[in-house]
Amino acid sequence: MSAHEHNHEHGHDHPHAEITAEAAGYYEIMETAVRELLAEKGLIGPAEIRRQIEVLDSRTPALGAKVVARAWVDPGFRARLIADGRAGCEELGISFYDDTQLIVLENTQEVHNLIVCTLCSCYPRPVLGLPPDWYKEKPYRARAVIEPRAVLAEFGTTIPDDVEIRVSDSTAMVRYLVLPRRPEGTEGWSEESLAELVTRDAMIGVVPATLPESVQ
Amino acid sequence: MNDSAHLVKKLPNDIGGVEAGPIVMAEHTLLPWEKRCHALADLLDFKKIINTEEKRRGVEALGATVIGSLSYYERWIVAFGNILFQKGILTPEELARKMDEVEARHAGAGEV
Repeated sequence: MSAHEHNHEHGHDHPHAEITAEAAGYYEIMETAVRELLAEKGLIGPAEIRRQIEVLDSRTPALGAKVVARAWVDPGFRARLIADGRAGCEELGISFYDDTQLIVLENTQEVHNLIVCTLCSCYPRPVLGLPPDWYKEKPYRARAVIEPRAVLAEFGTTIPDDVEIRVSDSTAMVRYLVLPRRPEGTEGWSEESLAELVTRDAMIGVVPATLPESVQ
Repeated sequence: MNDSAHLVKKLPNDIGGVEAGPIVMAEHTLLPWEKRCHALADLLDFKKIINTEEKRRGVEALGATVIGSLSYYERWIVAFGNILFQKGILTPEELARKMDEVEARHAGAGEV
């Protein structure tokens, strides 16, 4: 009796709420079931899931920004980073938790780089964390390779016509990171201050790295 | 012209260069189960059970209708189930029973 009242108070008896709850929960239940079955078979451990969630949480664009800022102030590091992106990041203590390779694409006066994954959502997760939703959705994936200037315009970015735009399409094994151009007027800035200018979107290549408006 | 030809020429994931609408800048923080699903994907990759390419193909094998109806991590978990069946690591019956068990557990917890 009290159980019924309890359910009713929380709307569990209403068909509409039940349908909504069921629709929302089906895939979550599947995820739990798959994970538990794999654990029962000794293929994964629950602690491993928790540890990997901690790894995922520890990866943010601040890591990529640190790499970019170092490349701006240290030409030797920049050369090593461009020769081997993964080794360059590892030099700064950023570990790669997967088998992916990283290619760092340097923006110059002549070339602006943009990264995409047309087939799915490959992304330099060890240095940028998880990709934004728009990176995983159809419009960006479909259009970045065919009309990059129009895509950039939607991010408020205009690249002069005499600058070549190169779009790099990521794969399961090869990921890219854009090394944006260092903003003018930052001579003598500390690495930490420079890193603050480097956003996730600048390392995807949809915007440049810029000075904060207060400084401009 | 046969208007089904595009289904054969391009599989559902192969959308580079096709026409599409404006980019929607909205972003969302992953739900706890989505983050667990991502961590699970990483572990399956580390342990050489399902690699990234198998995962992508597994999603593609769901077909355009399912891909278009499910969210990103919903597609992943369904693809993982199918791939684990194909590899003989799980059986459909096992998964169905476990899902019933998990669901019953959730329902039980909800009444406390």
